Amino acid sequence: MCQNIHVSYKITIILMFVFSVRRRLTTTTIRITVRSHLVYLSVCPQGLCPGVPPVSPPVIFASPTKLASETGSQAEYLRANRIPDLQKLFQRADGIPVHLKGGLIDKLLYRTTMGLTVGGAFYCLVALYIAAQPGNK
Amino acid sequence: MAHQAHAYHMVDPSPWPLTGAISALLMTSGLATTFHYKTTTLLFLGTTLLLLTMFQWWRDIIRESTFQGHHTTSVQKGHGYGMVLFITSEVFFFIGFFWAFYHSSLAPAIELGGLWPPTGITPLDPFEVPLLNTAVLLASGVTVTWAHHSIIEGARKPALQSLTLTVLLGLYFTALQAMEYYEAPFTLADGVYGCTFFVATGFHGLHVIIGTTFLMVCLLRHTHYHFTSKHHFGFEAAAWYWHFVDVVWLFLYISIYWWGS
Repeated sequence: MCQNIHVSYKITIILMFVFSVRRRLTTTTIRITVRSHLVYLSVCPQGLCPGVPPVSPPVIFASPTKLASETGSQAEYLRANRIPDLQKLFQRADGIPVHLKGGLIDKLLYRTTMGLTVGGAFYCLVALYIAAQPGNK
Repeated sequence: MAHQAHAYHMVDPSPWPLTGAISALLMTSGLATTFHYKTTTLLFLGTTLLLLTMFQWWRDIIRESTFQGHHTTSVQKGHGYGMVLFITSEVFFFIGFFWAFYHSSLAPAIELGGLWPPTGITPLDPFEVPLLNTAVLLASGVTVTWAHHSIIEGARKPALQSLTLTVLLGLYFTALQAMEYYEAPFTLADGVYGCTFFVATGFHGLHVIIGTTFLMVCLLRHTHYHFTSKHHFGFEAAAWYWHFVDVVWLFLYISIYWWGS
């Protein structure tokens, strides 16, 4: 167990060192260090940083800042952005409440939940009634 | 068709408050029936209902905000107040357990041998795994801040990497703590020392698991493009909660692990 602890310590210290000198490869040139984090936290509450450059990436669904071919792993970029489609679906003016607006699966999940709720409430009342009977401890 | 003339969100009628309340009834009465009759049906039913309620309620909030656009700045501000008040209530919850610890440890009873740690208790070495746990949580505080700045700057890959790292560190903490619990030379039943130790650190561990889950949901949402650089309150709430969990650990470490040994 002692050996495991020392190995764990080494891994943690190496990781902390890597974070402290890591240079982010983005279009901005701000280097993230531990000290910068603390400066950001003190002058940039809630992330509203006066130091953020005026030319920023698109606000809505920010696109990648590098070509996909430049990245090592492409897994994150392969996922398609389905937000516009979902927005269309959930903004349809059909009067359906939000908890059922997703379609059949919503209805099934709702009915299961409500079934358990009503059934469970009755079961609970019966169990409490029985438990309240004298001599039934 | 009438349109709202205000910036707030009047939600659609929802069944989840009812199902959540019933789940609380089932869990509490289930606990009582488990103790008296050794039957876990009600408890299991209540827990299942709670999980179903949480999943569907929060799913609906994501739909209302990300897909329907109801979360204006005013609504976000209200959520901010709500989260701060909730975390404050959790702080007071922990204050109770720290009070209990200091009540027993500052003036140790004669039954404990008049000293702290009590006679017969071998406390954990604060400079072994507990110190590593401290480093892990502090590092996770750095990575979650890194993730926040990445989201603000629209840097998708660093945001995903740093958020993943934060979740991994949270899981690492939980695994280390579970190992410590298994290996500890004392138990919950070992007098007031065991009681204050395991209840305080146990509730903290539960909050670490809750915080890690919250961050995992944020990671999933970020992979699905839910967060924008200007609007990501769900992530901010998770980050605040995570910092709270970190600070509670620091107090636990200083008080119970270090001073208390």
